[in-house]
Amino acid sequence: MPRLSRPSLSALALMAGMGLALPAAADSVITWGKPAEITGFDVHVAGTVASWEMYQMVYETLLTTDDQLTLQPGLAVAWEEESPTRFVFTLRDGAAFPNGRPVSAEDVIGSLERIRNPEIASYWAHQLGEIVAMEVLEDGRLAVELARPHASFLPALAHITAAIIPVEEYHAGDFDPASQLMGSGPFMVDAHDQDERWTLVRNPHYGIDSLPRADRIDVQIIPDESARMAALRDGRIDFTTFENPDAPQMLGSVASIAYAPIQTTNYYRFDVNALSEDSPFHDIRVRQAMNLALDRDAINMLVFNGTSAPDYPVPAAFGNDACRDLDTYALPRAERLDRARALLAEAGQPNPQVELMASSANEVLVRIAQVTQQSLGEAGFDVQIAAVPTAEYLQRVFTDGDFDFSASWLAGYTDPGMVIQWWDPNFAIWNLAFQAEVPELSAVLAELRGLPDSTERDAALIEACEMIDDGANLLALVSKVDYVVYRADQIEVTLAERTGSTNIWQHIAEFAPAE
Amino acid sequence: MRLVAYLLPRIAAALITLFGVSLLVFLSLRLLPGGYADILLGPFVTPEARAIIAQRYGLDQPLAVQYLRWTGAMLGGDFGVSMVTQRPVIAEFLRRAPVTLQLALIALGVALAVGYPLGVLSGVRAGARRKKRDFGRVVGAMGASVPDFVLGSVLIFVFSVWSLWFRVGGYVPFTTDPVGNIRSMLLPGLTLSVFGVALILRTTRDAVLRVMTEPHVTTAVARGASPGTIIRHHILRNAAIPVVTVTATYFGFLLGGAVIVEVLFSIPGVGLYTFNGLLNRDYAIVQAGVLLAAVVFITINMLADILYALIDPRVGAVR
Repeated sequence: MPRLSRPSLSALALMAGMGLALPAAADSVITWGKPAEITGFDVHVAGTVASWEMYQMVYETLLTTDDQLTLQPGLAVAWEEESPTRFVFTLRDGAAFPNGRPVSAEDVIGSLERIRNPEIASYWAHQLGEIVAMEVLEDGRLAVELARPHASFLPALAHITAAIIPVEEYHAGDFDPASQLMGSGPFMVDAHDQDERWTLVRNPHYGIDSLPRADRIDVQIIPDESARMAALRDGRIDFTTFENPDAPQMLGSVASIAYAPIQTTNYYRFDVNALSEDSPFHDIRVRQAMNLALDRDAINMLVFNGTSAPDYPVPAAFGNDACRDLDTYALPRAERLDRARALLAEAGQPNPQVELMASSANEVLVRIAQVTQQSLGEAGFDVQIAAVPTAEYLQRVFTDGDFDFSASWLAGYTDPGMVIQWWDPNFAIWNLAFQAEVPELSAVLAELRGLPDSTERDAALIEACEMIDDGANLLALVSKVDYVVYRADQIEVTLAERTGSTNIWQHIAEFAPAE
Repeated sequence: MRLVAYLLPRIAAALITLFGVSLLVFLSLRLLPGGYADILLGPFVTPEARAIIAQRYGLDQPLAVQYLRWTGAMLGGDFGVSMVTQRPVIAEFLRRAPVTLQLALIALGVALAVGYPLGVLSGVRAGARRKKRDFGRVVGAMGASVPDFVLGSVLIFVFSVWSLWFRVGGYVPFTTDPVGNIRSMLLPGLTLSVFGVALILRTTRDAVLRVMTEPHVTTAVARGASPGTIIRHHILRNAAIPVVTVTATYFGFLLGGAVIVEVLFSIPGVGLYTFNGLLNRDYAIVQAGVLLAAVVFITINMLADILYALIDPRVGAVR
């Protein structure tokens, strides 16, 4: 180890080392270096990954998904589709909240009702479809009746926003979802110091034998990437995630640090403002030219070192090739650039000046913007990059529509029928400020909502892809890979190869200190 | 009595300043684009959801009503609750204050221990050979020129690759793990202190230089007093007022929350809390943070004013 050159520091270290009283090592404790604090406690409301990740430790959903994104039991051990609009769920015997009260059908119904309550302002109500009735059946079963077939209903139940809360305690005033976390998941909250740390301890009534394997999770909030790397290096944390693909590589020299890229259905995207008359993108030809001039391969190679891949409106992770033959993807780049220049000339804007906005909180988005600035320049675009605080980005893009185009990423969820609905602004709602409504596309998407996985649905997806590409209003860029990095000498982890609902820690109950 | 008369106008000015600060921070926050609804709901915010959340936190009221409610509650000791956690923000500030205080004391200690002697040395050797004379100026110029975010980023990079005993991030309270605490606090403390070293060094040097040309020092030299006696009795005390001023200002700045350094090193002090509150548009946190920082700053400056009068009785008499 290099010698400290400053005698004073050495002396200080020596003095501090005298009488050192390190805390006793506790058994079965794992430490998570979490990159960001939650943005709110309400599991039915918060729309950020930083929040979802914490909720997944504490709450359960009726259903989950496996590596193939196929629905699996969660709180419901079985489910039956009695008709395209009626579903019956059987709850897991033994599932209970931390206070010992078993999870009941009333909790499920109350949770779904709460999500649908407009006063709660949950964005997930749309994804569940129109629920017209729910009833408690005998033997821990319940039935849900929809107004019309809604293919995304079951996949939507696998997302953490559809978590089941203790409704009895909620109504009694003993549980406030806006300031507490309380679910039937493997862990419960023991302590929380905002922006600093959480202590999660095992839910003694989890109800699944021998799980969770760890008694406690110490969560340290470490937003700075370098600080997380340092914490991994000296073993202060056992596992963490990075969005920046360079980070795991920088840690590669430490033998005990392992790295697992997790494929997701999420992808990076551009939101393009078709509605603002102040934006050059108001002209569909300029949007189409931009879409053609984009170099997704360059983004993959330069930003992600080739660990990602170009992605499509129907995410590549689903294995569905509905959008792969579009000119945007299939034509050679030189030909695409020629067509882009021709479109710009036709629009009378050979060198449109546009601003590409990204939240400064995400370094990867800024890098994507930089690569895009170069690649669009080849077609004649003059791109200015604006990295702004998250709150400003959110307001300007999703409320004010005061932007040209912006970089972000999209959750692909667990079913192609869910993510594709974002191209219908009247269904999605969140993109009303910049997304043009295309009635023909909306009609196809409405049809898709009622179609189960079938060749008929595949055909509809292809039709939707063509219209989506033509509108060039919301563009898929490259797949979003989550990089999990952990100390293999300190922790045993179970990770999914692929996730669909940003539930990267879905196997957290199986994490344990290394033997 | 003279001291009271000396302080009264300053207290009045402080109250007016606090009123101005409260108004400024309150209005500035409302002018910032984006609100807590955007942060909470992300892209899924709708006008209806925004209205519900605004109503939940009283943000649907006219600005004047919001301001009066806030200041009224604050006078009663209620600084509001965080929209993220629903917990009183004052409790969080009190919990974090010792962390910031420790950081501030480390930075101030280093700044005084290095900057003051170097400043005195640089001042009294102003007539010496060039190398000796310029050392203090070089240190001062370098310290003042390197922004703490640059220095902090470099230190984080270096010490996250080669630990060298220091710890990047991973703050632990001193009472839990004294060594771990010192390992995690030294780098941010040193980062913060560099500007302080430069500030105190330059101020001390200039003050010493000014005092050295005054008649009473010339008289002492003519009288045959030793250099040590002249420095101790005739220079240091007379040069102390500007040093006390910058030290107080610097300490007030540090206590107000050394935001950038706390954010860089993930030190859970009041600066990090206020910064995250700003990012989350968590109004109560930012309003309380800025106002408390102003109170601390003004109080410390007032204490410095009292100290002037004690160091140099002419101060109170003249004013």
